Amino acid sequence: MRITRRKALTGSAAAAATIATGIYKPAIANTDPIQIGYLPAFTGPSSSTGIGIGRGTQLAVDEINAAGGIKGRKIELVMRDTQSEPTKAVNAAVELTRRHKVSAIWGPLNSGETAAAIGNIARENVPMVHPCWVDVLIDVKKYPMAFRNAPSNQQIGGAANHYVVNVLKAKKVAVISDTTGYGTASVDAYVPMLKKLNADVVYSGSVDANNPDLKPELLRMQSGGAEAIMPWSVNAGFLARIINTRAELNWDVPIVGQTTLGSGQTKSLLAKPEYWEKVYPNNFRNVCYDANGKLPPQTAEFVERLKKAKVDYSDTLMWWIACGYDGPRLIVEAMREGGTSAADMTAYLNTKVTAWKGIYGTIAFSAENHNGFLDEGVIMAQANSLKDGAFKLAPGYA
Amino acid sequence: MLVQSIITNGLAVGAVYALIGITYNVMFSASRVFSFTAGSVGMLGGVFGAILIGQMGMPVIVGFLLTLLLGAILGIVIEFVTVRPVLKSLDQHLYVLSTLAAALMIQQLTAIYFSTDAVPFPRVVPIESGFLDQKIWLPILACVGTIVGLEYLFRHTLVGRAFLAISEDNYAARALGLPEQRLRMTSFALAGMIGVLAGFSSGQLMFASLANGPLLNFYGFVPVALGGMGSNRGAVIGGLLLGLFQQTANYFFGGVFSSVAVFVVFIIALLVRPEGLAGAATARRV
Repeated sequence: MRITRRKALTGSAAAAATIATGIYKPAIANTDPIQIGYLPAFTGPSSSTGIGIGRGTQLAVDEINAAGGIKGRKIELVMRDTQSEPTKAVNAAVELTRRHKVSAIWGPLNSGETAAAIGNIARENVPMVHPCWVDVLIDVKKYPMAFRNAPSNQQIGGAANHYVVNVLKAKKVAVISDTTGYGTASVDAYVPMLKKLNADVVYSGSVDANNPDLKPELLRMQSGGAEAIMPWSVNAGFLARIINTRAELNWDVPIVGQTTLGSGQTKSLLAKPEYWEKVYPNNFRNVCYDANGKLPPQTAEFVERLKKAKVDYSDTLMWWIACGYDGPRLIVEAMREGGTSAADMTAYLNTKVTAWKGIYGTIAFSAENHNGFLDEGVIMAQANSLKDGAFKLAPGYA
Repeated sequence: MLVQSIITNGLAVGAVYALIGITYNVMFSASRVFSFTAGSVGMLGGVFGAILIGQMGMPVIVGFLLTLLLGAILGIVIEFVTVRPVLKSLDQHLYVLSTLAAALMIQQLTAIYFSTDAVPFPRVVPIESGFLDQKIWLPILACVGTIVGLEYLFRHTLVGRAFLAISEDNYAARALGLPEQRLRMTSFALAGMIGVLAGFSSGQLMFASLANGPLLNFYGFVPVALGGMGSNRGAVIGGLLLGLFQQTANYFFGGVFSSVAVFVVFIIALLVRPEGLAGAATARRV
């Protein structure tokens, strides 16, 4: 065949067009980092949680990237500090999903911010994993791509109720809260649960958290024959007043309830350190010392890694770090094994995560249930046993 | 034990409300302005004490005197920033905005530089708690001391009489040559000291907490309205009654409804005696 100049030009143009339009591509792997949105509160009133969770999150991402990332692609956390403000969390969520087009989101890390931002994230069809306890923040119909790697409030209350009724064998129980939304909702939810366990709720009420005198409330509990007090509040002052008043009444009834009962803030407000005896806050089995003072093997090994990476865990709580460590690892596993598209990640989490062993707890999702934390992971701990960010299991647990 | 608890705690809390009520009154007497910073100043009394004594380790007496000094400075700043600029247009009630804005700023700055959580307040008197703990008798003592001191100031000193003259009729007082502006600043400094005294003396009862600001602003105003505006004796009686009633309502109605009960009684009292318990009815020309 004779090659004319016209044929040569046409062929060259066709070849150039083919290369330019991408029909022909050399086999070069994509090495761009995979972006994961991250919405902690590093400042503002919720920052202590954000800072603790943040330490675990950073360690997880450093380890993943040191091990080669996902098929050679590094993980890049696109972080926005929500400043403990729901409106800022919404703005940050919109920015991450629309402008940065992140593949998934870890957080927000507080319920108020998640409640504000979850709708925006769901509308953009971006998978999210959050650790917030408020029950309504998981709904497979409204938010089909939202997953929780922490317990719900139902599980938290359920574990405390189980401990009071079945372990401590208390049949007469007093339930008290502050007048915040969280407090009153907890009383409304947990009192019927206690009654289902055949407990006699001799006192239930909500009190202004700033009321300096709780003696009348505790006297009512005492006259009702309460064998355990269950306070539901995140206000350290309110909880400390309950503990102080119990001591002033020379009453040694156990106090069982919210994790803040075991916080350093609560301890600092006690009139005497020994008042912290027989106080049992919620905690998590995987990050608690057993009766011999030992952590579970995988948590002990995790602590060694924290030490090696020089992550300070003495001024925060181990469960915050563990929760922060598990969140991005769960997302990365879904990306690595399922795929980086939203549909692939969601399908993987819905069907393959059935007994995922995290440091914080074991996670099991299904298409119908995105509350992944298993009930047996939620336990009660001894408030006065805090050492290096972890507590001892409350008496009665094997 | 229940009755004892209601009475002792009611009197202690009531004494704090009374001190905040007096703070409102002292500011009001010199300027005709209700400064809604009174509660925030009270809150800062606890915060200053917790920082100076609890965190910086100062001796109690030094920490206490420094707290009073800071309260006085704060009072002067409040007068200068929020009251003086709006005095010319009192009828427009701009002071409501300016003093509320100052209170908000105090709250925000405390949240940023101190804590949003309650912080422990140190033991002031190094004695073990006996029949009555110091967290109960300290605010009562502070209230008694304040009212006795103010009575002495107003009845037996020249400065006190000048204060009274200003509060009665500041135009006439100025015409007589009294330094109205300096007296107003002094009275705001005095009010600042009384406000921080309320927070300092109740630090063990209420902790050093940001949340005390709005609470004291609110409940501290009730004795002023109940007792009669400008009447310190009325504020003390109103404050103590409020404390006792609040603690009783807490027991019988529970925490959620006690505030409702307090305000129902407050409204009824004002309907029956609009001039307040210790106030005098004023005739109006028609």
